[in-house]
Amino acid sequence: MGFHGEKNRPAKKHKSSKDHHYMVHDEDSYYPEELEDNNRDGEKEGKKTDFTNLELKPDHANRPLWACADGRIFLETFSSLYKQAYDFLIAIAEPVCRPESMHEYNLTPHSLYAAVSVGLDTETIITVLNKLSKTKLPKEMIDFIHASTANYGKVKLVLKKNRYFIESPFPEVLKTLLKDEVVGKARISSENANGTDGFTISKALGEMRSGHDELLTEAELATAAEEKETHSFEIDPSQVENVKQRCLPNALNYPMLEEYDFRNDTVNPDLDVELKPHARPRPYQEKSLTKMFGNGRARSGIIVLPCGAGKSLVGVSAACRIRKSCLCLATNAVSVDQWAFQFKLWSTIKDEQICRFTSDSKERFRGNAGVVVTTYNMVAFGGKRSEESEKIIEEIRNREWGLLLMDEVHVVPAHMFRKVISLTKSHCKLGLTATLVREDERITDLNFLIGPKLYEANWLDLVKGGFIANVQCAEVWCPMTKEFFAEYLKKDNAKRKQALYVMNPNKFRACEFLIRFHEQQRGDKIIVFADNLFALTEYAMKLRKPMIYGATSHVERTKILEAFKTSRDVNTIFLSKVGDNSIDIPEANVIIQISSHAGSRRQEAQRLGRILRAKGRLEDRMAGGKEEYNAFFYSLVSTDTQEMYYSTKRQQFLIDQGYSFKVITSLPPADSGPELSYYRLEDQLALLKKVLTAGDDLVGLEQLEEDADDIALVKGRRSMGSMSAMSGASGMVYMEYNTGQKKQGHGLMKGKPKDPSKRHHLFKRRYG
Amino acid sequence: MVNATKGLFISCDIPMAQFIFKLNASLPDSQKFIICELDSTHLFVQPHASEMIRSAIAEFRDQNTYEKPP
Amino acid sequence: MHSTGSPLGLEAVAGRNQLRRLQAHKHPPPPHSLKFHSDLQSPCADKMPQVKIIAKNFMDMVASLPACKLDKLCESPFICEAILRSLPPLAKKYVLQLLYIVVPIPAKSFEEWVLPDGLSKHRVAIDRLIQLRVYIETIDRKKETSYQLNPTFQINLQKQLIHGGVLPREPMPLNVRLPTLEELETYTHEQWECFLLQLISSTQAERLTNFSFAMMKVFQRGLLSQREKEAPRLTENGFQFLLMDTNAQLWYIIREYISNAEERGVDPVDLISFMLELSFHETGQAYNINTLTEVQIITVKDLANLGLVKLQQGRKDSWFIPTKLVTNLSVSLSDSTTRKQGFVVVETNFRMYAYSSSKLHCEILRLFSRVEYQLPNLIVGAITKESLYSAFENGITAEQIISFLQQNAHPRVAERMPSVPENVMDQIRLWEADLNRVEMTPAHLYEEFPSKDVFDSACDFARDYGGVLWEDSKTMRLVVKADIHNHIREYLRRQK
Repeated sequence: MGFHGEKNRPAKKHKSSKDHHYMVHDEDSYYPEELEDNNRDGEKEGKKTDFTNLELKPDHANRPLWACADGRIFLETFSSLYKQAYDFLIAIAEPVCRPESMHEYNLTPHSLYAAVSVGLDTETIITVLNKLSKTKLPKEMIDFIHASTANYGKVKLVLKKNRYFIESPFPEVLKTLLKDEVVGKARISSENANGTDGFTISKALGEMRSGHDELLTEAELATAAEEKETHSFEIDPSQVENVKQRCLPNALNYPMLEEYDFRNDTVNPDLDVELKPHARPRPYQEKSLTKMFGNGRARSGIIVLPCGAGKSLVGVSAACRIRKSCLCLATNAVSVDQWAFQFKLWSTIKDEQICRFTSDSKERFRGNAGVVVTTYNMVAFGGKRSEESEKIIEEIRNREWGLLLMDEVHVVPAHMFRKVISLTKSHCKLGLTATLVREDERITDLNFLIGPKLYEANWLDLVKGGFIANVQCAEVWCPMTKEFFAEYLKKDNAKRKQALYVMNPNKFRACEFLIRFHEQQRGDKIIVFADNLFALTEYAMKLRKPMIYGATSHVERTKILEAFKTSRDVNTIFLSKVGDNSIDIPEANVIIQISSHAGSRRQEAQRLGRILRAKGRLEDRMAGGKEEYNAFFYSLVSTDTQEMYYSTKRQQFLIDQGYSFKVITSLPPADSGPELSYYRLEDQLALLKKVLTAGDDLVGLEQLEEDADDIALVKGRRSMGSMSAMSGASGMVYMEYNTGQKKQGHGLMKGKPKDPSKRHHLFKRRYG
Repeated sequence: MVNATKGLFISCDIPMAQFIFKLNASLPDSQKFIICELDSTHLFVQPHASEMIRSAIAEFRDQNTYEKPP
Repeated sequence: MHSTGSPLGLEAVAGRNQLRRLQAHKHPPPPHSLKFHSDLQSPCADKMPQVKIIAKNFMDMVASLPACKLDKLCESPFICEAILRSLPPLAKKYVLQLLYIVVPIPAKSFEEWVLPDGLSKHRVAIDRLIQLRVYIETIDRKKETSYQLNPTFQINLQKQLIHGGVLPREPMPLNVRLPTLEELETYTHEQWECFLLQLISSTQAERLTNFSFAMMKVFQRGLLSQREKEAPRLTENGFQFLLMDTNAQLWYIIREYISNAEERGVDPVDLISFMLELSFHETGQAYNINTLTEVQIITVKDLANLGLVKLQQGRKDSWFIPTKLVTNLSVSLSDSTTRKQGFVVVETNFRMYAYSSSKLHCEILRLFSRVEYQLPNLIVGAITKESLYSAFENGITAEQIISFLQQNAHPRVAERMPSVPENVMDQIRLWEADLNRVEMTPAHLYEEFPSKDVFDSACDFARDYGGVLWEDSKTMRLVVKADIHNHIREYLRRQK
């Protein structure tokens, strides 16, 4: 079910609250019926969320959390046990919100699956939770944990010496699986079966405990660490995906964990790389790697780190531990370059061991093992390729990759994933992302395709530790001018609503004021984001600042970005949606958002990430230091318009991480006059006229050119609030992207105009 | 001779005034309630219009406000 | 993530369109000045001061008593000392200065004692002394003012100071273990909570205290309203009352209690006198009930219902134990906020965590937030636009909510500046301002004036009545408030 869908019109009352429980499948709901009904109806909230009868333990003040029968957990951050409690909770539960004093988490079947995947067993979970809880754990929760974990973690898919084995310490489970037709057919009988059912029995290494040790007694630790006996049977490699599918919760409900025993992989050639000595992972990076390699094998899954917190080092470290060939997937060509650079920066990899595969570079690595960095699109592309590309793709497909490293997994749509995963053979899949939030697709799909969440860092903790910048977020409220608002209200102008509230002269003045202030008074580097191309162009040209959008050539982009980085004269650049992912933006510390994609929480977080890279000395960045707030994120919003709605919605993710948006209503200062543009009414009216007479195709969202490297386009598939597929401004017309179809244009089709009436139906809905 | 009309004096900000104008304009002639547009932030309307104006404003405001669902 | 100030140092809230509304809220009237007018009329010949004193504390109430009642009060040396204690420092000095002087002292001499920058304090002191009738003011034929100590007060204060006071009762020697001071405090809190819960409950079934139905009705007057065939509902005052500081609440109740005294057949002066006397007792000590008059026994029982005293019974005797509230009366019953333990944490994401298990707290929080979870020692809620709007509709203001949150901030966050996240406070105010963006006033529009002169004079006339809502001399149009329409009409008729 995922998130309750919102239609184009914001609903008044939101009755459904199912999303906060991250329900996997309705039929597998583990919560008692009544709870769900009551959660929907605000009136009855008193009844079933009244847990006053829980018994408080005498030393409850020393324990950091409360656990409720409906799965909700509250955590005090100021407790002396916070650190361990956080690590534990993030491993077993989904974070709901993590502001400064009190965190909230939800225990879900899904989060428990993730817990089991990193080696936490049922009893440990219950014991530790109980230890940390102020009250006796509610029986419903204990039952729930038992029920959820009953089937998880019992079955592993292991790739050993090019053969696939289904492994489990519980032979009865294996027997159950084999009863299934698909699984049964996939089985290959093993010669050296020594078990009674034809299962091979061997010893598996116990779990390496980390971080929860002090919370467990010696006896508990001992039982956890003992070596377990495992049973296994082999399956046909060609049937692996089918078997995995059958084991999912909607079928047999024994979702398989995938672990790669890379130390004992004698078949695949080693890649001789190590981390360089200067590469020192930070505590949270270490933690995430520990979760991945906890028992000596490599687990597949997803690691969540805020933007700018150093996920590349995590990816590179993982590759260096596995020491087998690695296929690294990025979202676009610029990202590919960055990853290649990061590999060389942090590891001892030699130039000939790493290569890039993009529309511009068709490199190959030398030797038996290496790292290939490419884009999702390059691999998933189903159309005709050049001969050279075809050869490279063949090689990619045929090689057994030790590590499939996937960047920005939550930007990429599920179908592309499936494609990539089914086309490539990899032992271990690691997904990296900054946000586990999607507006449309079920995150659960991803988790079963790649693996569960291994670790998620806490934004505020990282800020406190000085690892990411401490950003001051602000929402600047710009009242609409009389004339603009009058036009906004007119029904005839439904299609131009966005253009009207973005081109609001008061917003322009606020933007101009902010740019001046930050440039002149602080010498900051500023990026202005605008999804709306018309606005982008108007603003940039009026303020005489450079701009980069889809059509900007590579050469031009490089020139502008270089100047931004190094020149004292270029301190502000305007970026369209390209800026969200496709560009390697040098350090900026101010972001001004003048228009943005309706309600996309991920985009908001992504943009913020552009200034999260912590700069300056650590001491200065700590609380109270002189650079305590050294990054600024302004979202300019026209009041009394739909922009307010979307703005608040977009902020939700960041707010849940602990950020707060200060509302500023007095920008520019009341006494600002003609030194800012559009002071005179006639200028405002002229601008209004321009907006009203601009062609329909000019005033909407930028539609980026379909080129092999651009994943961002696919955002258009979102059903909620889809903006029209618009073409560029000033006579530059972009090619339409046909979503859902495999036909993709080659780079040659730049500049061919498309018939607006043939717009994809999803895009048409926006102006209903 | 001085003309006196009974009604409701409305004092608000510019956007709200615009909203009320538009509300008025969208009604059929027989239901229009604005007696006089005094200036960009003041209006004089018929006395019975207050409820309608308030609820229209409330609805407009709700549409522009995102409330996180529980 | 608390923003202590952006480089722009921008104040979030004062947007130009909302400024007007917000300025009105910048200096909100203190929530507990629900006006109290002294009902304590007496047939005495002495005239009461005509000034309506908003009795902000117990002593104010004392001050508003008619002269003869005040004099009667002063017959008790304890009362005199209590009054003395309550005076501002300078006033205290003035009293002691004149303690043994029986002739009037010219006001001028007083002024000579004071340094120039102390004059305002001097005036305050003198005013207070006169209000309380501690000083009597006389004006002689030469129009010269002099002050003199009220003879009754003087004699009794002298007695008190020289001989010390002997209370009409002594603590009882008991073998029983009396409650500790801590236990007494707990008792006070619990009892007060029961009382408040009963006060605001709409069902009469809740008999949490021993107050009679009639007595509760007295307290509920103004706080609850009852419409026909409907359950009683909290009024605007009622909502505000709940958000008030405990001391202010207590003061309100005691005030009602005293002012209702005559209806119950009790002399308010006796009540006041007894309560002041109680403030000289020892906290935690037991005093035998048999030392009390009948009226005093009833009073003590009532005070027990409020948590001011604790009643206990032994095998033979019954006694009452004064709590800190009652021995500290002039502080308890004032609008000074004594720091009590805060319990609310408000987060930047508008979620609220209240460390409390009190039903009353839960009810109070429900006034403006959506309560989501109740745990043994924690109440979790969310402050939403919806919940705030229903609070606003009930007459609660943004400032009251913010003030409540600040005053009850949990110690852990109380040190933060500000204790409630800035974005939350700003948003609450902005939402309130949003409600008030359109002001509607019943009015009349005048146009088609025969001449500019007529127009101008009409404007002036209306202005004198404070009734001009809008005018424009260019188009010669005038809008006036509906309630002065008739006056204008008359005026215009007369112009012809």
